[in-house]
Amino acid sequence: MNVSELNPASELIEPDYSEFIPAMDRRRMSKVIKMAIACSIDCLKQAGLDQPDGIIVGTSMGCCVHTKNFLDKIIGANDGPLSPTSFIVSTHNTIAGQISLLLKNHGYNITHTQNSLSFEQALMDGILCIQNGYSNVLIGGADEEEDTIYNMKARLNDETIHLTHGASFFILSGKAASPASVNLIDVGSFGLINNPSKIIMRFLDSNNLSSEEIDLVLYANTEHKKTDELKMIFGQKKIFDYQKISGTYYTNSAFAMNYGIDILRLRSHPVFGNSIGKVLVCNNLIPENLGLILIDNKNQLG
Amino acid sequence: MKIFVTGIGVVSAIGLNAEENLCSLRSGVTGIRRSSVYNLMLGEVKLCNEQLIQLLNLPNEDFSRTTLLSILAAKEAWGKNKIVDDIRTGIISSTSVGGLDRIEKYYFESQTNKSSESYKLMTHDNGRTTERVAAELGVSGYIGTISTACSSGANAIMQGARLIEANKLDRVIVGGCDPLAIFDIKGFSSLNIYDQEICKPFDESRKGLNLGEGAAFLVLENDQSISITDNTPLCLLSGWDNATDAFHQTASSANGKGARLAMINALAKANITSEKINYVNAHGTGTGNNDLSESIALKTVFGDNIPPFSSTKGFTGHTLAAAGAIEAVYCVQAIRSQTILPNLNFSTPMTETGMIPEKTFRPGTQIEYVLSNSFGFGGNCTCLIFGKAN
Repeated sequence: MNVSELNPASELIEPDYSEFIPAMDRRRMSKVIKMAIACSIDCLKQAGLDQPDGIIVGTSMGCCVHTKNFLDKIIGANDGPLSPTSFIVSTHNTIAGQISLLLKNHGYNITHTQNSLSFEQALMDGILCIQNGYSNVLIGGADEEEDTIYNMKARLNDETIHLTHGASFFILSGKAASPASVNLIDVGSFGLINNPSKIIMRFLDSNNLSSEEIDLVLYANTEHKKTDELKMIFGQKKIFDYQKISGTYYTNSAFAMNYGIDILRLRSHPVFGNSIGKVLVCNNLIPENLGLILIDNKNQLG
Repeated sequence: MKIFVTGIGVVSAIGLNAEENLCSLRSGVTGIRRSSVYNLMLGEVKLCNEQLIQLLNLPNEDFSRTTLLSILAAKEAWGKNKIVDDIRTGIISSTSVGGLDRIEKYYFESQTNKSSESYKLMTHDNGRTTERVAAELGVSGYIGTISTACSSGANAIMQGARLIEANKLDRVIVGGCDPLAIFDIKGFSSLNIYDQEICKPFDESRKGLNLGEGAAFLVLENDQSISITDNTPLCLLSGWDNATDAFHQTASSANGKGARLAMINALAKANITSEKINYVNAHGTGTGNNDLSESIALKTVFGDNIPPFSSTKGFTGHTLAAAGAIEAVYCVQAIRSQTILPNLNFSTPMTETGMIPEKTFRPGTQIEYVLSNSFGFGGNCTCLIFGKAN
């Protein structure tokens, strides 16, 4: 739990991919694929699973580095022949596709790509799968940094953000897989909204919770300033801007969920204190989009 | 629970709306033409962006073609529907390139002229396209986008049905769109899978695919929504499934395992046996690999009783993420008009399977259930089943 805040010199912390991916495959894989596969394999190992019933990925920009590479090749080829290498791995679903190929998994496989809500929608889909009788689903959010073909700072209208990348994966299951499991209570994805506070209140209400019952709010927005509304709702409860540690990429709410789970597992945090039982991830990265993820440390689902 | 289809809208190389598309299917006229720019056979929508903006009466924004084609088809499907408090309404679109058609323009410009207009580089975000369509229809709340390459459109439709079934939504606009981006034109060229003439799905001499562009949307509603909108059901979305081939990033397996699983599970979801299917709208891209793999999967699922089947890609070209949605609209029209749709340019069955697709527009056929296949890069296989509404 030794997580420190980002500084300008911070770099992505990567595992030794050779532990997870055969050398021949690894060579051709972009960062987002490697991150996603390493997380997936690690997740399955922790849960003691060989195969998930489904693979669901949320990614806003997909394989944008290979997309850019292929655009560069088009320019370079000057109407001459082109190698398809970058093209065939440029689609957003290459991430989920490569995981299925590596695992030889024939189950449900889908990719959600709704900018800052990609992960929340993947998570909602995962809950539907469990409700429809799947034993477990591998689910994650992943995005890689690439700012030459997509100007995220302009899109978010914030030049101060620290662009990064990352991947966080989870196993959803209908039963608690281990004492370390946490409970995913509810997820919501709300697009083109103008009153986030009202939606947060309604979301809590639909879960029979009052704002006082939330112990920690992990939030994201742009310009890191709009905490007044959250403070109005949650009073003196702790709120924390997770982008201070994750940096900014569209699926960083997956990181926040991971961080929230770590806190729930330990039930305490050096800064946030003890007896943290319920965490709300409140993703308002794009002002008109709101993602909400509610987790607690009861080890049963539903 | 019943999922009703109550609206359809489509734009493709063979028409700017559902009626025009059906008319072209009836008269057997393809929309694929030789593009002078690329010297390639392409299924282009016969309106440029400026014409689309004018037709849709839109302000002069920096629209991606994806957004424009989507708005045209979504508005047709949406028709006179209104947003009301008692109907939880969402939208799920799908695309493989999103606004990349604008990005490539600006990026190429910036690389060749070294001019920097990076503030324009904001459209390569699939979700943004869907948000713009949602804004046009007045939808807020669940606004989602799926991207599973060439099965995207079918997955968006499935996703809408699943959210209605789970009681998260009462009504949802579902579909997909892809424009003819230079990225894809060059990409499929690098794979050497173009037919230099009009494609010949399921034919022994098939050489490959033609790219196309377009968009299509459907409106799905539950009982409660229909009791308020009073919309007439066009048909039902009866079954769906998504499975994975897990064979190769771009090629389908020889035994068509993913396709077979998707079809079998979709039949189970619809709670019908395979004999109930009266028509199959195949993925049938015209490539050697897809058509053989799909034929074998069809044989495995249907045995000796393969229902009439056809690929309509000889009309539209392969419209990638839009394909599943465009073909879903065609399936709804097949049920509505009790017609089997034709497969163009077929003459010789494949030696491996001997299967013969339907070659003529055949009205007056009893059609209760139609199955639609969509397969994509990454091994994504999705199957939808539409059923007659009473």
